[in-house]
Amino acid sequence: MLQCDFIFRLKGILEFACQLDNPNGVQSQSTISKSFQDLRSKVTSKNIVFTVCNSPVLIWPNTGFQSSVESLTEASACGDILQWIESDDGGSKKSSKKKDKKKSGPTVVNMKLLFEVTEPAGNTAPSLIRVSTQQHCVKMPLPLDCALSVTTDERLETVCTGLVEALNKQLADMEEVVLQYRKGSSFLVPQPFHFQLPEPAGLITVVYPAGVPDSQLQAVREDLHRKFELPCDRPYLRRANAFHFPDAAYKDGYLRNPHIHLNPPNIEDAKLYLVQGVYSYHHYMQDHVDDNGWGCAYRSLQTICSWFQQQGYVETAVPTHTQIQQALVDVGDKEPRFVGSRQWIGSIEVQAVLNQLLGVTSKIMFVSQGSELATKGRELANHFQTEGTPVMIGGGVLAHTILGVVWSENTGQIRFLILDPHYTGGEDLQTITDKGWCGWKGPEFWDQNAYYNLCLPQRPKSI
Amino acid sequence: MGRSYFVDEAVEEYLVGIQTAPGSCVTGLLAGQSSPQRDFVVLAVQTPHRESEGQPKASRGVSPLDDIDVEWVTEHAKQVSRMLPGGLCILGLFLVTPPELSKDAQNALKRLIFAMDKYITKGRLWELSEEDVTDQVTLHICSKTKKTVCKTFDVKDPKSSAKPADWKYQTGVSSSWPMLSCSVAVDVQIPMTGSSSDITDKCMKDGLRRWAKQIEAACCLINGRHALDDSELVSGQKKNPKTTHRQTLPARIFVSDAELDERSSALVQLCSGSVKVRGVVHCRAYIHNNKPKARHAAQAIKRDIINTVCSRVEMFLEDLLINEGSHKGLCSGQQALPRRVFAPVPVSGLSVCDYMFPDESTADVAERLKEMLDCKTPEEDIDTSLEGNQLFSNVCGSEITESPSDDSSKHVFSEVQTENPKNQKAPQYYAGVAITAAVALLATATSLLYFNE
Repeated sequence: MLQCDFIFRLKGILEFACQLDNPNGVQSQSTISKSFQDLRSKVTSKNIVFTVCNSPVLIWPNTGFQSSVESLTEASACGDILQWIESDDGGSKKSSKKKDKKKSGPTVVNMKLLFEVTEPAGNTAPSLIRVSTQQHCVKMPLPLDCALSVTTDERLETVCTGLVEALNKQLADMEEVVLQYRKGSSFLVPQPFHFQLPEPAGLITVVYPAGVPDSQLQAVREDLHRKFELPCDRPYLRRANAFHFPDAAYKDGYLRNPHIHLNPPNIEDAKLYLVQGVYSYHHYMQDHVDDNGWGCAYRSLQTICSWFQQQGYVETAVPTHTQIQQALVDVGDKEPRFVGSRQWIGSIEVQAVLNQLLGVTSKIMFVSQGSELATKGRELANHFQTEGTPVMIGGGVLAHTILGVVWSENTGQIRFLILDPHYTGGEDLQTITDKGWCGWKGPEFWDQNAYYNLCLPQRPKSI
Repeated sequence: MGRSYFVDEAVEEYLVGIQTAPGSCVTGLLAGQSSPQRDFVVLAVQTPHRESEGQPKASRGVSPLDDIDVEWVTEHAKQVSRMLPGGLCILGLFLVTPPELSKDAQNALKRLIFAMDKYITKGRLWELSEEDVTDQVTLHICSKTKKTVCKTFDVKDPKSSAKPADWKYQTGVSSSWPMLSCSVAVDVQIPMTGSSSDITDKCMKDGLRRWAKQIEAACCLINGRHALDDSELVSGQKKNPKTTHRQTLPARIFVSDAELDERSSALVQLCSGSVKVRGVVHCRAYIHNNKPKARHAAQAIKRDIINTVCSRVEMFLEDLLINEGSHKGLCSGQQALPRRVFAPVPVSGLSVCDYMFPDESTADVAERLKEMLDCKTPEEDIDTSLEGNQLFSNVCGSEITESPSDDSSKHVFSEVQTENPKNQKAPQYYAGVAITAAVALLATATSLLYFNE
C-alpha cells in the first residue's frame, strides 16, 4: 500500500468571479479563462500563505520559503513540523494506541490556504471603479484540495513548492471542467477527489463537476483508466472510491474493516486470502432496529451492500430491513405481509435481494454438512482472490459473514475469518476484536451436522 | 459594583477649562478605550458651535436643557468617531450645566446617550461580540462648583437605568499604549442590481459587509505572533507608566474565502453594472497596556480596517448626494475615495485621522481638526504620506461603450488616459499611466494598482 510516511494536505476555498457581458457569446470563454489565469497568478504570488492546522506555523512558500517559526527553515525535513502540531485529544486516547498497533498509516498534516492582505506592494489610496454595462456577475467557490505523499526526509521547502505546483495544476484542471460543463450562464462547481492508485501512480487527484452523477462520467473514467493503465473491469475512480484520509472519521459511525486489527493465525505453509477493499460492520440493534434473534442474515446482507457501495459499484444507500423485505416481495419471492415481519431469510434470499436492489449476481455454494466446510478451502481462496467480496453463510439457525480464509494447499488446514452479526453492543472496536465478534475461527466453529448455503457475490465488470 | 473610568489629566484640564455662558449648557464627547475590567478616557471634546443658526432660535422648552440640539450632538459624535483610529471610540458624553439645572441633567444625558449610540452604530459593518462593553458613560459637571457626577448606561438595554461609576484622574493614561499598524490591500468587487442611489447604497453595504466578514474571520499575526486564544499580547515592553516611548507593533492579516458556502453551482446575478473598491488603506489601532489579550488587539486593528473603508465610502456617497443630488448616483469610471491622513493629538501623542478629498489640502484637514476635535494641529504635523495619492483626477461621466471584449476594466483605464491632460499631478505620472493601460491587458488587476510606488 502506501510507502510514504506523510501526506501533506492543503485545502482552501478560492472565489472564482467574473463578469460576462454575454454568457452565450464567443468572448465569454476567454473571460472565464482570464479569471482562472488571475487565480493562478494569485497562488504563485508572494501573498499566499500556508497555515498548518492546530499549530502556530505559517509558511510563505513563494518567498524563498519563510516560516513564522524560526526553527523551520528551507533545510528542515518535513517531519520537523510535527513537534509544532497540537494533537486533538479526543476521548479515545487509550484505545487509539492499541488500535494502531497493527496499522500505522501515513501521518496526515493538514494545511489551510490563506492570502495575506497586508504588506502590499504599493500604497495608493482606494478608488471606486464603476462599470455600468449590464453584466452577468458570476461567483463560485472553488474548493481547492491538494495532497502530496512524501517520505519523512523530504525537505519542507520541496513539499511547499510541490503544493504550489499542485494548486496551479488543480486550477487548470478546474478551468477545463468549468468550461466543458458550462451552459451559458449556468456553471457547475469543479470538485477535486483524491484516489490512491497502485504504484507507480500513487495518490492522484481528479476534478469532477458537481451534480453530474458517476454514471454520466463513464468516458472520463475510461480515459483515466487508460492513462494510468488500470484494469478495465473494476472501479478505481468513482467518487465512492475516493481515498479515505487516515485522520478523517466516518460520519455515519459504522466501523470500517475491523478485521485489519487482528493478527491472522500462524498456520504452517498456509496463505492468507482476504476480502478486498472496505466494508462497514452491520450487526444486531443498529439504526434503532431491534432485530435481536432474527435479523442476522439481514445484517450480513447489509455488510455486503456496504461493500458494493464503498467500492463504487452502486450509489444506493445500504438497505433497511424493510427495504430488503420489500425487494423480496417485489421479485415475487414473498407475500406482501412479509414486509414488517420478523421472518428469517437465507442465502437464496440474499442472492435475490443483491440482484434486485444492486444488480449484483451471486454464486450459491451448498454444503450438506458443516464438517464439509473444511474442504472448501480452494473455492473460498479463489473467491477472495478474484472477487474479494464478503461471503454470507447461512445454516443451522445462524447466519454469518466470511471475510477471508487462511488455507494451506498442501496440508488442507483452514481457518475462517468471521464477522458475526449477532453482536448487540455499540461500535467499540476493542470489545469486538477482543471478544471475537470479528475473529478467526477453526472448522469446529460450524455446526458439524447442519447443512449450509453460502452466497458468494460477484463483482460486476464495470469501472 | 460599577465601572471604573481612568481618565487622563489632560481631560481634566480640558473639562475644567470649558467656558459656559451664564445659565447655558455645554455638551461634549468623551473618547477612549473600554476593556472588560476597566475603561480609559483619553480625550474630551465639546460640541462645536452650530454655524447654520441664522438668528438665535427662540427657546422652545422651559429650560436650556431642552434646547440641546440632539441631532447636532450625535452628528458631531459620528464625525469624531470617524476620526478615531482602532481601539479608540466614543465612550460617552459630558454635560456642563449651571447648578439650578443639575437635577434634570441626568434625564437629558440619558436621552442623548441612547440617541448618540444609535446614530453612531448605524451602518456599522461589524457586530459586537460577547465581550464588548456596551456601557456608555455620562458625566455631569456643575459649572459653578466643578463637581462631577459619573454614571453609566447599558445602551443595548433601552430600559437600562443609571449605574454609578468611578471617575479617577491619572497622568499619562495612554502614554505607553502600543500602537498596531498595517497597510491593507483592498480589492472588493460589488455587483450593482440597479443605478438609483438607494440601490447603490444597499449593494455597496452588502458587498462591503461580505468583505468585512472575511476580515473579521481572518488570521492575524501581531509582531510575528498569532493573535488567537487567551494569550497576552506580548509587546516586549516592560509595563512602566514612566516610560513615554510608544511601541509600534506591525500587524499582518491573512484571509481565506472559506466563509463562502459550499455549493454545487455558481451564483449568477444579472447586474446593471458593478463597483470595485480597490486600493491600499493604512490602519492603526491602540491597545491599552493593562494585560491586554492578543485577540482584543487583533479585533481592534481588524475593526479599524473595516471602519476606514466603510467610512470613506460613506463619506464619498454623502458628498455625492450633497453636491450632485440624489438622482445622479454613481457615475462610470474611476473616482478617488478620500484618503486617510493622520495627526497627533497634543499632549497624549495619540494619532487621530481625517479623510482628504482629492481637491483638499492639509489646511482643510487642520480646520476640521480644530472644529471637530477642538485641537490646534500645525499643518506640518499632518502626515499625508501613509496613503498614496491616486494617479488621476476624478473621471466622471465617461460612459463605457459597448465593445467586443468582455474585459471592461481595460476600457476604464483607457478612458482615464485620455482624460489625463486635466490632471494637475506631475508629468511623470502621464507616462506611467500610458504604460499601465497596456500592462493592464496582460497583468493582474493588482499589479496595475501597485504601479504607483
